[in-house]
Amino acid sequence: MTTTTPPGPRALAWRRRGHSAARFWKQYRTRRAGVLGLAVLVLFGLIALTAPLTVGSDVQSVTEAPGQPLESPSGQFPLGTDRFGRGLLGLLIWGARVSLLVGLLAAVLSVSIGAVIGITAGHFRGRYATVMMRVTDWFLVMPTLVLAIALATVMSRSLGTIILAIGVTTWPTTARLVRAQTLAVESRPYIERAKALGGGHWHIMSRHVLPNVMPLVLAQTTLVISSAILAEATLAFLGLGDPTVISWGGLLQDAREAGAVSSGDWWYLVPPGIAIAVVALAFTLCGRAVEAVLNPRLGVAR
Amino acid sequence: MSSVQQAVVPAPAAAAPRRTAKGWAYLRYGAGKVGGAVISLLAVLVTGFFLFRLIPGDPVKTMTGGRPVSAGQLAAYRREFGLDLPMWQQFTDYCGKALTGDLGTSYQFRAPVLDKIAEALPNTLLLTGTAFVLYTALGIVLGTRAAWRHDRLGDRLSTGLALTLYSVPSFWLGLLLIIVFSVGVGPIPGLFPTGGMESGGEEGFAYVLDVAHHLVLPVITLVAVEYGQTLLVTRSALLDEMASDYLTTARAKGLRDDLVRRRHAVPNALLPTVTLIFVNLGRTVAGVILVETVFSWPGLGGLFYQALSVPDLPLVQGLFFVFATAVIVMNTLADLVYPLLDPRVGR
Amino acid sequence: MSLLDVRNLEVTYADGSAAVRGVDVSLEAGGKLGIAGESGCGKSTLALALLRLLPAGTRVGGEILLDGEDVLAMKWGRVRAVRWAGASIVFQGAMHSLNAVHRVGDQIAEPILLHRKATAAGARTRAGELLEQVGLPAAHARAYPHELSGGQRQRVMIAMALACDPRLIIADEPTTALDVMIQAQILRLIAGLVTEQDLALVMISHDLSVLADTCDRLAVMYAGRIVEEGPARQVFDDSRHPYGKALSGAFPRIGDPASRFAPRGLPGDPPDPAAVPTGCAFHPRCPVALESCSVDDQRLREAGAGRRAACVHVPEAAASPSAVPEPEASPHPGPGAGTDGAGIPVPGPAPSSDATGALGKPASAPPPLLSAEGLHVSFPGRHGGDTARAVDGVDLDLRAGEIVALVGESGCGKTTLARSLLGLLPPTAGRVTFDGRPLDYSSGALRTYRKRVQLVLQDPSGSLNPRHTVYDAVAEGLRIHRYGGDERAAVAEALSRAGLRPAERFFQRYPHELSGGQRQRVVIAGALVLEPKLLVADEPVASLDASVRGEILALLLRLRDELDLSALVVTHDLGLAWNIADRVAVMYLGRIVETGSVEQVLSAPRHPYTQALLSVLPDAPGEPVVLAGEPPDPSRISAGCRFHARCPVLASGEAERAGVADACLTRDPEILGGGGEEQAACHYAATSSTSNPSELIR
Repeated sequence: MTTTTPPGPRALAWRRRGHSAARFWKQYRTRRAGVLGLAVLVLFGLIALTAPLTVGSDVQSVTEAPGQPLESPSGQFPLGTDRFGRGLLGLLIWGARVSLLVGLLAAVLSVSIGAVIGITAGHFRGRYATVMMRVTDWFLVMPTLVLAIALATVMSRSLGTIILAIGVTTWPTTARLVRAQTLAVESRPYIERAKALGGGHWHIMSRHVLPNVMPLVLAQTTLVISSAILAEATLAFLGLGDPTVISWGGLLQDAREAGAVSSGDWWYLVPPGIAIAVVALAFTLCGRAVEAVLNPRLGVAR
Repeated sequence: MSSVQQAVVPAPAAAAPRRTAKGWAYLRYGAGKVGGAVISLLAVLVTGFFLFRLIPGDPVKTMTGGRPVSAGQLAAYRREFGLDLPMWQQFTDYCGKALTGDLGTSYQFRAPVLDKIAEALPNTLLLTGTAFVLYTALGIVLGTRAAWRHDRLGDRLSTGLALTLYSVPSFWLGLLLIIVFSVGVGPIPGLFPTGGMESGGEEGFAYVLDVAHHLVLPVITLVAVEYGQTLLVTRSALLDEMASDYLTTARAKGLRDDLVRRRHAVPNALLPTVTLIFVNLGRTVAGVILVETVFSWPGLGGLFYQALSVPDLPLVQGLFFVFATAVIVMNTLADLVYPLLDPRVGR
Repeated sequence: MSLLDVRNLEVTYADGSAAVRGVDVSLEAGGKLGIAGESGCGKSTLALALLRLLPAGTRVGGEILLDGEDVLAMKWGRVRAVRWAGASIVFQGAMHSLNAVHRVGDQIAEPILLHRKATAAGARTRAGELLEQVGLPAAHARAYPHELSGGQRQRVMIAMALACDPRLIIADEPTTALDVMIQAQILRLIAGLVTEQDLALVMISHDLSVLADTCDRLAVMYAGRIVEEGPARQVFDDSRHPYGKALSGAFPRIGDPASRFAPRGLPGDPPDPAAVPTGCAFHPRCPVALESCSVDDQRLREAGAGRRAACVHVPEAAASPSAVPEPEASPHPGPGAGTDGAGIPVPGPAPSSDATGALGKPASAPPPLLSAEGLHVSFPGRHGGDTARAVDGVDLDLRAGEIVALVGESGCGKTTLARSLLGLLPPTAGRVTFDGRPLDYSSGALRTYRKRVQLVLQDPSGSLNPRHTVYDAVAEGLRIHRYGGDERAAVAEALSRAGLRPAERFFQRYPHELSGGQRQRVVIAGALVLEPKLLVADEPVASLDASVRGEILALLLRLRDELDLSALVVTHDLGLAWNIADRVAVMYLGRIVETGSVEQVLSAPRHPYTQALLSVLPDAPGEPVVLAGEPPDPSRISAGCRFHARCPVLASGEAERAGVADACLTRDPEILGGGGEEQAACHYAATSSTSNPSELIR
């Protein structure tokens, strides 16, 4: 090993990344809740991805519904049927695609906005930061759901609208966290050293702030997915979702409109709600585990 | 004794300027926060107006509910609600009126928006206030315990339950509670009313009991989905404090463990918690809208849902304004109270 | 019977690191014991163990007899009763050791209410009395910790420790992070109280000279053991253990020619308690280690009257005075120290003679490399408060190949001055000239300037991005300036120059995998890679362990010799100036009050402030002149001489007699020469430039 020519910096960098990924996984593995969350997510991910093979898109069809409306669970329909006579199990599986997709994209949008605003507001002082933080604070006190409802009402009913409505209303929390972290990083002496070396704004933000903020952003993304999934369900439940696609929130709205509550048809209501809660919880557990591994400051033993 | 008193004499003179300086600093700080809140409120006013003007559809058609109406009548309606004016004039009218407390007339109820809000506000305050007190107290108490005994079984169970409930959609939990405890499942009879705030016809103490009876399920729903956040915030704030040197000092003084916690750790940890609780109020507003809708509670949230489905522009606008104002006011209050609680802030 | 008797104490933390590995120590009632050692040697663990304050899961073995009763065998109720009433602790860093949300009076009263049958009013009165005992007005009881200065907070901690009349006080680094003058105040306070009330004292510090001054017995710890113990003065002056020798050598005596341009230290770093070396734990760094030292463990044994040491060179039966051989001229870096111990050859009594020669005739001297002329830097006050004049009219020259020490207390503006010389802070008035050209603050020009002037910061762990490898950290400057040549070769060369050899072995390491000394070398390499002409080093060794400092200072000296690199070293430590600087500038409240060659200024200071600073050093001869009060606030600079409010010459009436007292109160003194290069800004010194004013004060 000592006699061979040393590998170039790039190869070494890749090897190093491999090592740190392995180290991350080793620590992540010790967090049982995080592993459980991850397992659940993998399961739901597989279900959602393979849905075209297992249940097929016919499952949404109202006209070719295989059963009678509102059948109780039976051998043929393990979870019963909806108000059009469609099998609820199939709908639940198909709905996973929309719920996960919306949650993921909305979270990515939200965290991206938050990270950009947080880093720039933390890095640049003066008027820009003041204005940005004013805007952030204003969004933060705005009742998110009310704003999202307003947006969803204003725009055409589509998945894009839902994603946008969630994305542009939930970023302030991330922005605040990222800004705080940026300020913490910027107060470190290595920033002053980089400035003394002649590094400019871009250098400091991209080489120093971003790598140190990334772990937080990663953990925050998982946590935001969880709330985005809940937000999607809420909007769909309020009838603001895309009526042409099946989602878990939409199923709940159907159930309520079909009178499942007053007739005590709990089997219509329970499965979509549990699906939402389980996936949201799984993302939260993963996010907390990632946070604990990457930011071990919390959980200090006394 | 006398030596002590003698030494005290010059000190107030030295301390006095610091106190006044501190007073001024606080006033300046408070003025800044209130000023910020006023700017936020103005921004809300502007947003509220333009956001809801973008909603497609002709509000007058909505008002008439599809009945055949003559063009003349439509024009009359337009005039009545000021919809025939150019947008900028509508806006200045709206701002001017809003500042005097006039939020317009509801299309749907044909009543001043302010009256509708005033009617529903106490009901919402009752529900939200009860739930807020309960979930804050529960979150802080359980969060403190979880942190102090962190990573033991009790902490894991308590934190796990909080996380689970936190992940549950509030409206779904409400619907389930209605099925189980109002409609009744199997052997469980309907214990609580399915919705509303009163059965009607009751008076005096019986009325109070009746309202309380209606309050149980909505409050449980709100508390269940909201306390988790407070618990987690309290827990992590306290965990941050746990490694602090002043706790070692307190232990070295011979204090019992529970005194170290109650007297030293918790007061420090609660300060950041207070701010976060108020910042998170925005989430509670969402919870209130959904829970009131599900339980047909005659409050602002239920009203908002109704107004939205029409859409009843002035009412939606007015409610939007009220919700935002409530959160802004509470946040500003928290900002103003915080330096009084924490001696370190507002130097 | 001893008051405190620790027998074979062993402490192992839950993670398996052995922090204390068999310590025997005892203390008579009224005795004063100092425990010295570097980070990780177990001294603070020992302090916490005495009152069983270690975290749950820590294994503690042995006995701790306090008044004959074993603390480790007590029931918890008894332990709580003994805490504070039997023995109390003055913790390090009083900001964090006091609870920020309670008034200090309540915090002092708390143990009184707990341990004594006292009423709330009684406890409050007692708290007031205690505050007066430590030199604070009783009214300060109503203050919160953040409203007090660092020195005042430490006084509060001491008042608190006295609250229940304990017989033993444990002081854990009570003066760390305090300024020299405040440190002197606190040490005098502790020493006075301990003598007055006949208390026993265990004082823990990394600073051997402080302990030698305060305590009667001194124990030196290394890797969880006591390696040497004896009468304090003897251990400090004539150590019987090579580690003790090195540690006391790390605190140079000003005026001692042996330590001029010869910083002393040890190769390597203090060991990690999780991986203590085999045999004698000190052998990898020991300059006189034998083959057998890596195998044979050494226990304490007699080494003269009342002295013990744990070294193979101390013979079994009591010893001749100089049992430990002097290390050879070129120290032998022990096995295992190879990476860090670059085998620093201590530079000879270097160019000081040439430099002083050149300095003697300023007229013919080459133009300075860097100079500041009438430099002012002000900061607007917060919330419309008074403007802080951090740098208030500074003239300073730095010549090529020269090391200048900028000395002052915290808040004197020395760091701000350094930043503005680097172009990181634009001056409010005045100008900076580099190589004869005034500094241009346009971003392009600054960029070029930054290639030639580099910064080395105090805290090497903070100066390196934890997510960058050593290679990235060193190459950062090259990348910023778009270096065209062979980056890899340049990085390797800079690392070797900084003493990290072979450089390739360090390329892919992360900062957390390095020791403190190695990190500072990486920072220096990162500066060297741009081939600068000047280094500005802000407290370059303040956060390093004492035994590691010497190596870094020697590195700076060597770089000056090899690369003709100039350096401005900002420091609070006059000993450091004596160790490496050619010239020294003493700063007080934004202005340089005295400057000149190190020999002149430190051996025969003319400004009363410099005299006071030198007099409070633990080793200084004569009576210390402890200035009262705190270092002043740069937003309230008084008229006249800025030092007059604290000036001992003015206070003693000496200035009055010399007829300059009026001037002191009304006129800002010019900085004037007193013959040669030496200059001082003092009306009094100007009148008596021929006589030595330090004689007059004493």
